[in-house]
Amino acid sequence: MTKKMFGMIIGAVALLLLGVLALGWRPARPVERSIIVEAEKYAYTPAVIKVNKGDRITLRLKAKDVTHGFFLEGYDLDAQARPEMPLFWVRRPSTGEAYRTVEEVRFVADREGKFRYRCSTTCGYMHPFMQGELIVQPNRLFPASLVLAVGVTLISLLRFARAGGT
Amino acid sequence: MATIRNQPAPPHPDEAPSRTWRVNLFEKFPWLKRVVKARSFQFSMILPNLLLFYLFILAGLFGTPIGSRNIIIVFVWILWWFVLITLMVPLLGRVWCTMCPLPVFGDWLQRRALVKVRSGDTVGLRNKLFGLNKRWPRKLSNIWLQNFGFLFLAIFSALLVTRPIVSALVFGLLIGLAVVLAYVYRLRAFCSYLCPISGFLSLYSMTSMIELRSVSADACQKCTSKACVRGSDQGWACPWYVYMGKLDRNNYCGLCMECVKSCPNDNIALFARPFASDIKLKGYDEVWKACIMLVLALSYSVVLLGPWGHIKNWANISESGNWGGFAVYASATTLLALVVFPGLLYLVVRLGQWLARAREHTSRELFIRLAYTLVPLGLLAWIAFSVPLVMVNGAYIISVLSDPLGWGMNLFGTAGFHWQPLWPAWVPYLQAPILLAGLFWSLRTGFHVALDLFGDRALATRALAPLSVFLTAITMVFLALFVG
Ligand code: SF4
Ligand code: SF4
Ligand code: SF4
Ligand SMILES: [Cu+2]
Repeated sequence: MTKKMFGMIIGAVALLLLGVLALGWRPARPVERSIIVEAEKYAYTPAVIKVNKGDRITLRLKAKDVTHGFFLEGYDLDAQARPEMPLFWVRRPSTGEAYRTVEEVRFVADREGKFRYRCSTTCGYMHPFMQGELIVQPNRLFPASLVLAVGVTLISLLRFARAGGT
Repeated sequence: MATIRNQPAPPHPDEAPSRTWRVNLFEKFPWLKRVVKARSFQFSMILPNLLLFYLFILAGLFGTPIGSRNIIIVFVWILWWFVLITLMVPLLGRVWCTMCPLPVFGDWLQRRALVKVRSGDTVGLRNKLFGLNKRWPRKLSNIWLQNFGFLFLAIFSALLVTRPIVSALVFGLLIGLAVVLAYVYRLRAFCSYLCPISGFLSLYSMTSMIELRSVSADACQKCTSKACVRGSDQGWACPWYVYMGKLDRNNYCGLCMECVKSCPNDNIALFARPFASDIKLKGYDEVWKACIMLVLALSYSVVLLGPWGHIKNWANISESGNWGGFAVYASATTLLALVVFPGLLYLVVRLGQWLARAREHTSRELFIRLAYTLVPLGLLAWIAFSVPLVMVNGAYIISVLSDPLGWGMNLFGTAGFHWQPLWPAWVPYLQAPILLAGLFWSLRTGFHVALDLFGDRALATRALAPLSVFLTAITMVFLALFVG
């Protein structure tokens, strides 16, 4: 492989990466968001919630068919909703406390990344796989790992092409 | 006899380019050699698993139908699977086959013994073996049956891993098949050609950090007894029909350690070696296995770990009854695994061949050899897939231990343990480096394969370039699913 070709490839990739990084680093003004999550065997609607870091979230949980849970990773929140009930139940799992009845839950999305919300109340066969995703942007791990993947490949190829190391 | 699967080894295994070190574990730990040489070794390894397995099957048949409360589901599909794919296979290769209880009844039918060995003369082997001892059909002496069997089971995996009764029936069926095949055919035909677990164990054990090999190739050449493969009064003929003198890959050795006992020249040892040292795929069956496994890792990540409920319903056919959706899911997975993915792989290999102006190799040879790059990446993608399985659903292990059948028992006082994942927010931070490591190892071994083929760094790099882009793209798809 010629040096010129490598130069071109690296240039193109660098541009791409800059683009990705720029997207990832776009600053966003925090906003209020009100989200209603509906749970039904074996999924949540919305399945993916995208917010920006700092957004203030007001969450309501509804169950459409049977009792479902809602364990949100990274935010120390576990909830439970029963069908036909306007209220639902929440607790902070880290404290081991019992569920409290609430109308809505408020929290600030202050931790960036990808967090799954999973069903925490056995609701049927596929219950262990019932989950949705809360993506708090910028989810820096994703662009960073894409960059690393490209980097691993480019550096490997460069090292292979050159005599000396493996 | 059945076809010998192991073609002549390269001049000396140490010359393979990816090998930088190798340690004879029998020399280093003499107690290890004493342990595996004991006649009772394999049966002692199998027995605890046999008892557990018996309990699991009972639990599957008579316990609660709720998977996360039944020990068969929680212990097999969470604990066993995790230990198998993240520890056993990459570190110890096919060591699961050493202790696997599935073929034990079949072995007994053939040997009428659990521990002791019987010499004699059966179909050219130096043991007395019972049963019909028929020859396995030559046409089926490959892993195609395992490929199709595994893909078939995998398509129903949403039922298999969530319904205790389905798991119990499938295991029962596998044991039954193993018994029938052991009665009709010689040696372990079930393990070699049918067992659905065997296919991926053989593929991914190529990466494992141990190998059982002959110490001196010279000694094997001079050896007249070939007791490793034919048996002796010290050990049973190799159940996998492996001739140690030519063994150069882990794929089809079940690590039963019979040959260590039967070799009269004490010429077999267990070695530690670098990760991903066996780099030679040898046939289309193995290439397709590599494709199937990678596509299934992808499919499971979408179906089981994704947020898309309708796809879960398609896969969860017996409950949803959505046959149209199931047909879409099943045919998409099958097409992707058997046609689209191998097709793309073939294209990028051909492109590399064109870039390297490589005419001295057939594209068949390049395709088969370079497909090896799917092995490290595939294994690490499976590991990345399995991380949340144990960190998130591992909590069920604690409650199920106290109430294995879901009948409301409380043996150790942990039955009421509330499900709680273990540092779930950190899962993506583990998955991303695991995937990147897979990419790294795929490229590295791909380069060794290409260097082996072309003998020239520049040509090897060119041949590898399009494939590297393909592998990077696969890694990115997994990254998008796990951390994106
Ligand atoms: S091949 Fe399958 S049945 Fe045979 S020992 Fe291995 S896992 Fe068990
Ligand atoms: S019995 Fe031992 S020395 Fe003879 S061929 Fe087998 S491994 Fe080699
Ligand atoms: S080669 Fe040795 S350890 Fe491997 S399956 Fe055959 S007899 Fe068992
Ligand atoms: Cu649920």
